[in-house]
Amino acid sequence: MPAGCETKAGRDIAGEPIMSKDDFILKAEGIYKSYRMGSTEVEVLKGVDLGVRKGEFVAIVGASGSGKSTLLHILGALDVPDKGVVAFTGRDLSRYSSGELNRFRSKMVGFVFQFYHLLDELSVLENVFLPTMVSKGIFGWLSCRRWARNRAGELLEQLGLGERANHKPYQLSGGERQRVAIGRALMNEPSVLLADEPTGNLDSATGNGILETFKELNRAGQTIVMVSHDERVARRAGRIVTLTDGKICRG
Amino acid sequence: MYKIILSIRYLVKRRIAYFAVLAVALCVFIVVVVMTVMTGLVSDFKQKNHRFVGDCVVGTESLVGFAYYEDFVKKLEQEDIIEGVSAVIKSYALVSPFGTERNLGIEIMGIEPVRHSRATGFGQTLYHHKDDVSRAFEQTYDPNQAGCVIGIELVLSRDSEGRYGYDSDPTGLGLAISCFPLTAKGALAKVGAGLVNTKTFYYSDNSHSGLARVDGSMIYLPFEEAQILCGMDGPVKRANVIHIKFKPKVKLETGYERVASLWRSFREEKADHRHADLLEKVTVQSWGNYRRSSIAAMEKEQTMMTVMFALVGLTTVFIVFVVTYMIISHKSKDIGILKSIGVSNANVMLLFLSFAFLVGFLGSAIGTVGGWRFLVHINGIEKWLYEKFEYQPLWDREIFAIGDIPNTIDLKVLGVIILSAIGACLAGALLPCRQAAKQKPVETLQVSQL
Repeated sequence: MPAGCETKAGRDIAGEPIMSKDDFILKAEGIYKSYRMGSTEVEVLKGVDLGVRKGEFVAIVGASGSGKSTLLHILGALDVPDKGVVAFTGRDLSRYSSGELNRFRSKMVGFVFQFYHLLDELSVLENVFLPTMVSKGIFGWLSCRRWARNRAGELLEQLGLGERANHKPYQLSGGERQRVAIGRALMNEPSVLLADEPTGNLDSATGNGILETFKELNRAGQTIVMVSHDERVARRAGRIVTLTDGKICRG
Repeated sequence: MYKIILSIRYLVKRRIAYFAVLAVALCVFIVVVVMTVMTGLVSDFKQKNHRFVGDCVVGTESLVGFAYYEDFVKKLEQEDIIEGVSAVIKSYALVSPFGTERNLGIEIMGIEPVRHSRATGFGQTLYHHKDDVSRAFEQTYDPNQAGCVIGIELVLSRDSEGRYGYDSDPTGLGLAISCFPLTAKGALAKVGAGLVNTKTFYYSDNSHSGLARVDGSMIYLPFEEAQILCGMDGPVKRANVIHIKFKPKVKLETGYERVASLWRSFREEKADHRHADLLEKVTVQSWGNYRRSSIAAMEKEQTMMTVMFALVGLTTVFIVFVVTYMIISHKSKDIGILKSIGVSNANVMLLFLSFAFLVGFLGSAIGTVGGWRFLVHINGIEKWLYEKFEYQPLWDREIFAIGDIPNTIDLKVLGVIILSAIGACLAGALLPCRQAAKQKPVETLQVSQL
């Protein structure tokens, strides 16, 4: 691995060792979030408290519209709460500068979405190493592109897509696309993998394959927070958190 | 790096981007062709004016002229910055070709051909005596009469290819030229004695300066003859203008300053002389200022053309705006994905600005190559159109003083055109790019948005 290409697993974006005094890698306290729909204000989250420890596999379940995805987006700094604190390794995300938030999204968390969200213009391999390319300047990228290509190739091999590296996303099945999305999320060795209904768009056999992949990753020490409306899917996680009426009612 | 890769892929994969490239290419093509022709015309016109006038002019617009010019010519000739000096008589006259009842109003210039050729490009404009300017006024028809050099448009006409039907021997054309001689006070010198001085001249050569107005209205006469015709040959001789050429290494500005300073001291020296008042109206001007009235019109046209094509450029800005807006609308999911993996707002903006830059760069390259190829063949195309269809869309060579359509691309102008095109693309893309940067990933990645 060339100098400067290594990811920062085990460290926060300021380079400090992760894990805080209360041992939560990701912690949300008193999260409130509301949206305006037409003339009415819809309160989605009404004081959510959630802590995720390193190496945990947490599933957040709840009915459609219960605020699961909103909570996940807030945990991954894609959205900001109206009230409340989200802390990563003990540091409040609201205190991060915009540059730090970008680095947080790039290196500390990896997103897997229900609809895969791959870039159509890029090949499978390019989609996987995109997060590394994004986190480097031109010269930084040129110095570690060989390493990044190799790592992306290894990830695709692990995910059973070694033969598909040069294909375009539209040439893949739904399950294959989701595995590419997982590869992309893992590329920078994030501290937390955030998955939003990762099996929601797949048939049950393909969905099981994805969940198996998650279980394997978790066994290897990967922290995972997964959102699902399906209790059967959620049961594959180590801990289930239920979101009802904007609050955690079972954890 | 991802910005470069993605912007290239967006450009290659999205057909609508081709329209933007095509719009820029067309715009650049048109501007390159028009500006090259226009710049060529203006620059050619300036060069011809420069050759006609020399570097600097000391003179007056008054037909009375000014006295003591010989003293000032001597003074100038002692200066080491001066290459050539030529005093000139300039006036208006009536000319009547022998054997006709016609009278024509023309301009006359009295010159000493050798001196005048040293101060201006006069010698090179002659046809028969180009190699021996001293014989410019020699004619063989009547040895007792003086010769005259006639502006080419007054004696010859051009064919459709712009060629003059030159005579092998310009003998036989006699002209009676009449002037109203003036006293040093500006009064008619021959009141009660027929008012005019008339003298016969025979056509000895023609002059092709390339300036339509000069070639169509000017007759050059021997200096002394013109001086007599205009009544400037009294005890204190007068002339209207002194044309000056500086040595090659002398900068125009430096030479002009020196001549102006010499003239000021000369005027002070002559302040108590009898005709000192005539010196007051004399000005020292660079060639550009002296021909300002002619050149300014051309430059104005060039400026107007530039403004008009800037308006065409606005259309390109709008097209790029629409295309970028459409691409960004189609790519809002990509923006959400990029932001979810840590791409900043500024970098999202730069990504789509890179796309606009590529549109501008590629369009400029295609437009420039197309314009260059067209300009290389423009005269051939025009000739072919004329031969095939008798159609001369641009250049009626029977009218225009310039033989060929100017087609030498000015690299500085080309650079400005390319930079403007790229700038226009960036300007057109700026607003959609800003909107792209502001998009929130949670909104663009929502299931309802897909």
